[in-house]
Formats: sequence, structure tokens, C-alpha cells
Amino acid sequence: MVKAELNKRSPLRVFEKTINGGVGKGNIGVIASKKGVGKTACLVHIATDKLFRGRRVIHVSFSQKVDHIITWYEDIFKEIAKKRDLENAVDVHDEIIKNRVIMNFSKGGITVDQLLSSLKAMIQDGNFTANSIIFDGYDISAAQDVDVQKLKNFARDLGLEIWFSSSLKGEDPVFLENGVPEDLVSRIDDIDVLVTLKFEGDFVRLQVVKDHDNLETKDMNLRLEPKTMLIVRD
Amino acid sequence: MKTDISLMRNIGISAHIDSGKTTLTERILYYCKKIHAIHEVRGKDGVGATMDSMELEKERGITIASAATNVTWKGHDINIIDTPGHVDFTIEVERALRVLDGAVLVLCSVAGVQSQSITVDRQMKRYNVPRIAFINKCDRTGANPYKVKDQLIEKLGHNAVLIQIPIGLEDKHEGVVDLVTMKAVYFRGDQGDDIEITDIPDDLKDEAEEKREVMLDAVSMFSDELMEAMMEGEVTEELIHEAIRKGTLTQELTPVCIGSAYKNKGVQSLLDAVVQYLPTPTEVENIALDLDNDEQEVKLEADETKPTVALAFKLEDGQYGQLTYIRVYQGKIKKGDELYNTRSRKKFKVGRLIKMHSDHMEDITEANCGDITALFGIDCASGDTFNAPGLNYSMTSMFVPAPVISLAISPKDKTAADNMGKALNRFTKEDPTFRTFVDPESNQTIVQGMGELHLDVYIERMKREYNAEVEVGRPQVAYREAISRRADFNYTHKKQTGGSGQYGRVAGFIEPLSEGEYEFVNSIKGGAIPTEYIPACDKGFKSALAKGSLIGFPIVGIKVTINDGQSHPVDSSDMAFQHAAIGAFKEAYPKAKPVILEPIMKVSVEGPTEFQGNVFGSINQRRGIIISSVDEGAFSTVEAEVPLSEMFGYSTTLRSLTQGKAEFTMEFLKYGKVPMSISEELIKEYQDKKKKES
Repeated sequence: MVKAELNKRSPLRVFEKTINGGVGKGNIGVIASKKGVGKTACLVHIATDKLFRGRRVIHVSFSQKVDHIITWYEDIFKEIAKKRDLENAVDVHDEIIKNRVIMNFSKGGITVDQLLSSLKAMIQDGNFTANSIIFDGYDISAAQDVDVQKLKNFARDLGLEIWFSSSLKGEDPVFLENGVPEDLVSRIDDIDVLVTLKFEGDFVRLQVVKDHDNLETKDMNLRLEPKTMLIVRD
Repeated sequence: MKTDISLMRNIGISAHIDSGKTTLTERILYYCKKIHAIHEVRGKDGVGATMDSMELEKERGITIASAATNVTWKGHDINIIDTPGHVDFTIEVERALRVLDGAVLVLCSVAGVQSQSITVDRQMKRYNVPRIAFINKCDRTGANPYKVKDQLIEKLGHNAVLIQIPIGLEDKHEGVVDLVTMKAVYFRGDQGDDIEITDIPDDLKDEAEEKREVMLDAVSMFSDELMEAMMEGEVTEELIHEAIRKGTLTQELTPVCIGSAYKNKGVQSLLDAVVQYLPTPTEVENIALDLDNDEQEVKLEADETKPTVALAFKLEDGQYGQLTYIRVYQGKIKKGDELYNTRSRKKFKVGRLIKMHSDHMEDITEANCGDITALFGIDCASGDTFNAPGLNYSMTSMFVPAPVISLAISPKDKTAADNMGKALNRFTKEDPTFRTFVDPESNQTIVQGMGELHLDVYIERMKREYNAEVEVGRPQVAYREAISRRADFNYTHKKQTGGSGQYGRVAGFIEPLSEGEYEFVNSIKGGAIPTEYIPACDKGFKSALAKGSLIGFPIVGIKVTINDGQSHPVDSSDMAFQHAAIGAFKEAYPKAKPVILEPIMKVSVEGPTEFQGNVFGSINQRRGIIISSVDEGAFSTVEAEVPLSEMFGYSTTLRSLTQGKAEFTMEFLKYGKVPMSISEELIKEYQDKKKKES
């Protein structure tokens, strides 16, 4: 399969359709679930899909080592390439790598100002005009109002969308009736798109809880394939 | 004979140029009774400090080559490996860092943490070397060890803790207060030999108490016993030493000593700290690669009963022949032992075993594991691993990357020509990534290496050490050519010039090969080309690959399949088919969409976060791809992939962009396609050059 075809048939098109075409410039999307369900895999697949379509992505992480994030990308790419029998996979890989930067902040207690100043340096000095930023592991539920506002302003001023992962506390996180996780209730007004991941039997199901102005839980008809952690259609 | 490994220390002394490393080393040798008088680095007496053995070092007052020297301090055997502090000398630094188990980071109490300190510290961190800091030059005007300690924390990210405080600073610097024993230590006499231990002077008591509390708080994190003892008010010196040691070994703590080597203050206390806190050879994990087992990692044990494994980390040409510095990692080496060199696959007998004190040496009969010693007259290269027969371990990967840059050099006169040969011979032995050959076309001597700086260092050394002045050409990137699609060929080589003619026809196709450089497939059925001529075809294709038609560089990643052909009963020969193959290749190559490949380097830039915008920009300007940026607070590391051809002069650029506070390393990563516009330029250049020649 060639790249264009692969993009057309990607399950991420379904994903986008259910959230009205995407998170959108200047907006904030959140993937929420308890620990160890597959948030990072989901975000990496979302990012990889963007890369496949020639968009530029900055992946921000807060782990000790940057290698395993790269490994995530490599694995997800390999799985997609294998599944779709991608033509010229090596060339496609070399091409999309140019559009991805991983920025890791390993020291705890970094401020939003420092974060944004590094991102700005990358985008402006490094001439890396990102379309999306993935914040993997930034606890938006515990963030200060003023910090969230700064992040939102940043997204708006630079015309990019930001995805966060949000780790819900406990083994069995509490969700409100409208599907919003309790941990995120106080933040829900700042979030434009909220997707939750939940175990359903053996696999993980994706649900949209908030789609821009629409606060109504919808099934996305997507799930994570247990072995590859790819987002796939039901 | 000392065999107790727990009394052995292998340490390096690392520092910014001019923070007094050589002076400190000199004093250590003196106090350990290795030398009987003290010389100055830029010797007024013309003798010079003992550790500086190379001319270049003497002139610049710096130390480049890593000589090892052995001293004894209070029953402990300390090997001091003099590490080069300069970033450019990568291979030397890396080898030296491999063999040492701990290090003393020397800092100037006035200048504090300077860019070079940052560099050497980063290198140590990379090799997991536990460190203690020595804040030197406390006698200088403006000395402020407290500020330097804070810089260790802020700039280098160390958990630095003063274990001493100074008694007086600048011209009043007399000694230190030991915060563990809570005693004042004075260094009296002309050469500081007379140590006087007294109670803490009254005016320092409060400060000492306060600083001791700070120290205990930090140190107790590493010992529950100490924490308990603190609560019960029963702290002992042993408990503190043990806790400091634990924190130091895991590199979570950096004990800080204070003094002035030049004024003979604090050196003995530093030596105490070295033996107390830095690891013994058994406390450091060392890994070898088992060559019989696919380079599987094997943990070495500092056990003298195990089979011997030793690393040759440094060669030196002395007046009596080649001296090889080795570190024994496992087992032991005795005079007369037979050892096996895993690189050359040759056995040799251990003749003379020597302990070195810079330029003087002492014969010994055996070297235990963990020890550093030297062998005489062994034919080997730096980085070779010696094993007990039967073992096939290597301390370093046998994989040597191909050089990515070359430079034409020519001697300035006859003497230089002779010396240049000697120098090249020596350097290629020392460093497997440095190569040299004579280009048959231009008859020029070409040196090849891993980067611009790499070659610069050797050019400089040629001049200094071998008195060989050379003219240097423009650096040349090692490009490659490759094809990007399949193309067919069907070529007949025919010549009829009286006598027996030449005849051969070959047909088939060429296609890109993703792994490997060249593959030849014979799928001829029915003997269209007689079997005896097939090797000649292979040979012909191979020879055609040596020089591509785009820019004259070797062609890689190609698979040739022949599936048809024709021969003549009289006129066919090996020669005829070789020519046919070459002709066939020339026919197919342009049709296979050839491209130019260039070496892509993995570049890692480390520096203060405040400059990261400049670093990002500089990489972006050089056709680089930023892979990641790791922000560790004050410092960040940027990993990128950048074409080698864009990296010329990068060290200068980086220096000016970051006030000299960032450093970079690069290594060969892969060959990548050259962008169209640059490819066209290269082709044009090549054609112009060819035109000129003809």
C-alpha cells in the first residue's frame, strides 16, 4: 500500500470524524485513563498519523530516558507499516522522522514558563513549525489555572493543537454520569476534546466524552489492539 | 607483594586547564614519597613537573597523554591515570576513563566551574565514574570555595557537600577544618610535610558546627544507621565515612575537599578522602564482550583466580622500545605468562612487567587484577584486549567504523617526510579509526578519520612530537554512490585486432541492495556463459564499483544478477568477460537512477539550557534533524542527525554561539541521500575537475 492510501484508510480518520475533524488549532485535547492502559501508545499513534500526513509534531515527555519514547515511535511505525504492507517503508520512515522532535524534561519541578520557553526556542530558533504538541505525562488535572491559561495562550498564539495524557488516580477511577472523570471535573471547561480509555473485557475501548461544545459520551467504535497497541476499528 | 584489592585505587585527576592539575599531581607524588623534590609546571628550574611527558604538554603547560603512575598512601596502592582534559582528544579520554574507577575533579577556587570542568565532568558522568571535588588555589586573591561548591550544585548538578572548611583564605590560608573529625588540620613546614592536628580555632567553631550539620543532613540520606545515630546523638566517624562512601560510589554525592596544592595545603587530606571514599576495583562493574558468543556482554570479576582479562589502554614509545600500559580486569599477570591478543589473534609471552612513575620505571614480577601496569616490547595496538589462552573476550567492540573524512597531507621537506612516516605508523597503531594510505592517482598521502578535529589533533601531534611539518589539503567527505531502481543490461564486448580477438556478452540486471555492499547472483541456465568465465564477470562488476560515474566515489548497496550471455569458442577469455561486465555495468548504471550518499553523523550537543535556542538554530542551518532535546534543568542535551559535510567548523560556531559553554560530540551514524540541489553541485564540481585534468 502506498502512503496516501494508508492515510485514507487509517482508523484515525474515524477518530477525527467523531471529534468533528480534530482538536483544532489553539485547542486542547486530553486522553484520560488510569495508569497502564495505553495512553502513551494512543498519543504516539495519533502523532504518527499526523507525521504520515506531513504534519510536524513535538512530543514532550517527562521521563528519565528519551530512548524508550523513540522506541514507542519505532514500534508503532513498524506495526503500521507491517499491517498495511507499506511501500518504501524505509524512505517514508526517513521522511517522517524529519517532522518529529522529542523534548524530554527529566528534572522534576520544571515550570510552565521554562517549558514554553524551550518549546518556543525549538519552534522559532530551530525553525521547527510544529502543528501539534503532545504532552505525555503532564498532570493537567493538578495544574494551576494560570499555567493552563499560559498553555492555552501558547497554543492559540502559535496556531497549534496540544494533546495531553491524563493519568486518573486509583485502580478504579470515578467517572461522573456524563462520563467525565472526577479528576478532570474542575478542568473540563479548558478541555476541548476529552477521550477516555477503558478496559472492556480483553481490550481497551475509546470513548469521546467531550467534543468541543458537546459534552456527551459517544462511542468512537475504536479500540486498542492488545498486542500492537494500535488504534483499530471495532 | 601487595595483593589486597581492597587497598587498591585507580583514579584520574581531571580539571580545567590551569586549575592546577599538574601541580596537584606533583604534590601527590611528593607526599607519597615518589619524588624527592617539588618542581613547578612551568618550571623555573627547567625540570618541569613529573607527569608532563610530552613536549606539547610542556610547552602549553597542559597534559595531553595519559601516563599512569603508581603511588602508595597509608598502605593503599593508588594508580593515577593522568587524563587529558581536552574535549578533542576523544579516544585518549575515553580509554583513560575506562580504566579508572574514581576521579578527583579539580576546581579553581577563584574561577570556579569553567567550561572545561563541565566537559570533563560530563565525560565522567557518561562513564559512571564516582568523583570527589578538590577546590584548589584557596591561597589566591578572591578565593571563594563556598561559591565554587554552589556552582558544583547549580552548574554540574552535583549533590556537592563540603567535608572540610578552610582555615583562612587567600594569603591567610593555613589549612582546613575536617568536618568529620571536627579537628583543625594545619600543614606546616616549607613543603607542608608537617601536619598539625589541633582543636578548631574559636572563631571557626560556630561555622564548623553549622557546616557539619549541613554535611550530616546530606550524608545521612545514604545510611539509615547514621540517621538513627544522629537521632540518638551517637554519631561516630566511621558511620559518617561509610555514609559518604556509599553516596560517592553511587554518584549521588560529591564530597568536597579544599586546599592549595601550590602552597602545599590540604593535599594529604585529599589523599585520605581518595582512599576513604573512592571505589576499589571490585566495586566497579566492568563488562567485556565475548567474541566466541556474538559479542555477548560478560561481567568481569576482579578475582585473581579467574582467567586473565586485561586492556591495553595506552602505548608509549620509550627509549627501550614500545611500552604498553594495561589494566588487569580479571585474574592476574605474571612475568613469563602467555597471553592472547583477541584482535591480532596472536599469543605472546609477558617479558618485563613494569610499574610506572611517569618517566622512571620499576620492574615487578606480577600484577594483580584491578592493577595498572605496563608491558615491554609487546606488539599490539591501543585498545587491544589480552586474555588468558582459551578465553576470547574483548573489552571494546571489535567493530571499527569506516572513516568518514579524508585529508591530503604532504611533508614540507625531507626530514618531515621521514618523520611523517614514523608518526603515521604510530598513530594508526594507537587509534584504529585513524587510517592512512597513498592515493595511487595523485600519489598523495591521505589520512582518514572520524571528523575534522580528530585529524587536526594528529596533524598537530605530528608537528610537535615528530617534528614533521605537513601541508594540509581541504578536508574531503567520503561520499558514496548508489542506485535507486532496477536497470537491465545486455552488453557485448567484441574486439578484432588481428590474432585472437576478444568476445563476451553478458545480460542481466542491477538492483538496489538494502543490506550489504555488493552481491553477485548467477542465474544463467544452459551454459550461455561457460562456468569458467563466471568469476571473471563477478570480478569485472566489482571493479566497476570502485568508482561511480556521478562523482567518482565507490558504489555501494548493489545487487548484480546475470541471466544470459554468449561466448565464442576461440575469442572468449577471462579478460573478455571482465571487460564485458564492466561495459554492462556502465550501460546499466545511468538507467538505475544513481544517487549520491553522504555520511550522516549522530551529533550530540550538551550545554546550558539558556543557549538551547542557538543550538537548535545552528543545527537547523546545517541541514540537521533534531531527534530529541533532553532538558535536565540547567543543562540540556540535543541529539541530532547532521550531514558531515555541514559539520566543518562547527566547534568554532558552537563556541561563539554559547560563550564556549557547550560541547558537542559526533559519530558516524549512516549514509543518507544527498538532497537534489547539493547533488547537482557535486556532480558539476566533479565534471569540472575531470575536464581540467584532461
